[in-house]
Amino acid sequence: MRSLTLHLKVLITVLVLLGVAITAYQIFALGIPVTEDETDDLWNIDAKVEFVASSKDPVKVQMFVPPLNRDYVSLNESFISNNYGVSINRADGNRKVTWSARRASGNQTLYYRLVLTKRYSTEKTKIKGPTFRDSQAVEGPEKIAAEALMAPIRQHSADVETFVGETIKRVNNLNDDNVKLLLAGDTSSMKKAQVIDLLLSIAHVPLEKVHTIRLVADTPQTPELWLRSFNGNDWLYFNPDTGEQGLPNDRLLWWTGDDNLISVDGGKKASVTFSMNNSEMNAIRLAKLTDENTDADFLEYSLYGLPLQTQQTFMIMVMIPIGVLVILVLRNLIGIQTLGTFTPVLIALAFRETQLGFGIVLFTVITALGLSLRSYLEHLKLQMLPRLSVVLTFVVVLIAAISLFSHKLGLERGLSVALFPMVILTMTIERLSITWEERGGGHAMKVAIGTLFAASLAHLLMTVPEAVYFVFTFPAVLLILVGFMLAMGRYRGYRLTELVRFKAFLKKADA
Amino acid sequence: MFGLIKTWKALEARGIMGINRRNADYVLKYNKRNLYPIVDDKIITKERALAAGIHVPEMYGVIETEKQIDKLDEIIGGRSDFVIKPAQGAGGDGILVIADRFEDRYRTVSGKIISHEEIEHQISSILTGLYSLGGHRDRALIEYRVTPDQIFKSISYEGVPDIRIIVLMGYPVMAMLRLPTRQSGGKANLHQGAIGVGVDLATGVTLRGTWLNKIISKHPDTTNAVDGVQLPNWDGFMKLAANCYELCGLGYIGVDMVLDQDKGPLILELNARPGLNIQIANDCGLTQRTHAIEAHIEMLAKEGRSEDAEQRVKVAQGLFGHVVPH
Repeated sequence: MRSLTLHLKVLITVLVLLGVAITAYQIFALGIPVTEDETDDLWNIDAKVEFVASSKDPVKVQMFVPPLNRDYVSLNESFISNNYGVSINRADGNRKVTWSARRASGNQTLYYRLVLTKRYSTEKTKIKGPTFRDSQAVEGPEKIAAEALMAPIRQHSADVETFVGETIKRVNNLNDDNVKLLLAGDTSSMKKAQVIDLLLSIAHVPLEKVHTIRLVADTPQTPELWLRSFNGNDWLYFNPDTGEQGLPNDRLLWWTGDDNLISVDGGKKASVTFSMNNSEMNAIRLAKLTDENTDADFLEYSLYGLPLQTQQTFMIMVMIPIGVLVILVLRNLIGIQTLGTFTPVLIALAFRETQLGFGIVLFTVITALGLSLRSYLEHLKLQMLPRLSVVLTFVVVLIAAISLFSHKLGLERGLSVALFPMVILTMTIERLSITWEERGGGHAMKVAIGTLFAASLAHLLMTVPEAVYFVFTFPAVLLILVGFMLAMGRYRGYRLTELVRFKAFLKKADA
Repeated sequence: MFGLIKTWKALEARGIMGINRRNADYVLKYNKRNLYPIVDDKIITKERALAAGIHVPEMYGVIETEKQIDKLDEIIGGRSDFVIKPAQGAGGDGILVIADRFEDRYRTVSGKIISHEEIEHQISSILTGLYSLGGHRDRALIEYRVTPDQIFKSISYEGVPDIRIIVLMGYPVMAMLRLPTRQSGGKANLHQGAIGVGVDLATGVTLRGTWLNKIISKHPDTTNAVDGVQLPNWDGFMKLAANCYELCGLGYIGVDMVLDQDKGPLILELNARPGLNIQIANDCGLTQRTHAIEAHIEMLAKEGRSEDAEQRVKVAQGLFGHVVPH
């Protein structure tokens, strides 16, 4: 007996731990949202390209588009252009779109639209980058100035990160004569970045210019320049103006390198304006869309991988254990008597079709009429099977009549009756009438009310949308339920109703 | 809420057994599933009892098929009183007790006159499984009608009072006399309104009783006191009950017995899930007593001994007998 108890305890612990672990993995590692209401941002970015085409030459427009290999995933990408050929090519980690046309004239407008969202999966892809490069050649006073700046930077830094940070800080000190000389009067970010690049190249520290877009709705903007350096494991991002390290979360990497965003052959006055807005989307639906657009398929082996029709069935099915749990608690902990063991769960499922209030009325009416028929049949002394058949047929006729009446009265609700499982009703009537005969009317009423109560409670719990979503998304929760049910299997405390039943003992003790 | 916890604690302290504990610690632990048919089918119980030399009401015949209903007359023979029972009935349902017979009509024990056809219909209902557990096909059993001993005349209303003893591994742990009332319709089942009266295991003297979960000391129909009655042949009942362990192999059973005017103590049926109201009748919790027996068995196992029915009765009477009346 003791070993059995230990066995059971181990089993319960394993099941509960497994359930908790799988659910936790889904929530924290896969990032599946805990509630259905949880939404994710969906960004809609439009880049509008305008230029004036010269009528003589063929037009070729090249523009960088985001490479999308880091934290974002593209859901949809489109190039809107009349009469232009479109091609996309990758080079040096950048993506470039080329619009080309043999003949065009006047003002031209091209659109690039991108819908993207944050990548769900947090798994890191292996990043590669350069860790060494050759120095840029500098001559004359610039060389002296650069070397003068380098000395204190070397002293004040320990590794690539601090070295780059220190360099940016020095270059932004505009009162320094050496800096003034190198900047040659131009204090734009671009020029600063060039100087930083030069200084770092002397120290053989690699540096890349990164052009980013900020994901902020409804504000016009131009690409913002950041610098990045590879430290062997990861890219370190720096703001060339402030030396601030780390790319904020809302920045989208558009392209890297020294080239301009756009280059136009056979046209002039090219300009690109960005506009973006965000919308929210149900997190699970978004995750599914993401799945289709990436190789990561973490939803593949969940119930969401099933066809939609099957999914809906499963949404009901996964809730049945919850209903069963309700019955278990009501019967073994509270001590409410119900007809049969799982009849209340079946009735609760039937309530799905009819709604609770209407279902209870319907159940009561049909059962009451069925019971009176049953008691009439009792006088005829029929055998069990023929009697049950008669009751079942009567129930069908009754349901048909109710449907017809309510339809004529304009109550569409009545039609849902047709799906109210008739066999369940018939068996309920039969069992109830046997209980009535054996234990008397009072007891039968008690059992009937207990059954209805259990069914209503089970129905209410089984249809809580949050619970349905949670159990459907994290089916491992059912393992935890099984653990609880196993524990209940050896529960030996009193039932709540027994406290009332054995009250006689207490009066004794008081007297 | 607080009151409930207090009630819980008080019941626990008195060793009152709840359904969950009975099922988990006794029924599931001591009663092997494959032995259930022995107690669920009264015909098998009877055959086993006869083979073991235990007294049961004489069986006149068994009807298994509709065809055999024709043999009813043959089975009854010239007898004027008999009982028809479903072999797998529960809670005393479907039992027909015929007290007298004249021409081709029968009179039931409650005075109702019924025809031969009605009896045949009743048997047919039994065969289709109307009264059996789970509605399976059943067999009908025709047997000797017990005439209760005169001692019960004053404290019972119609029907046959019976004695229920709960037996754990062959040790009687608690006993109760069940008296039919007007409300129970002559049946001796407590949930149908019969009275349960506790019995002192050592002496066979009745204690106070329970009726509908309340404690009483008078019969509601006859208003005679139910306590202080000496049951005759008490040691015979105790031995009979203790023997049932060997008979069926189930470790936790309720043994239902009657005291026949002529034949003495007889076993009526065995129950693998005896009810808990016996505790109210005896004003005593079952858990204390079962724990004492379990401790005793453990001690015997350590010493490598085992006891026969007679010794077990002595042990139980020594442990639980001579209750001080309240």
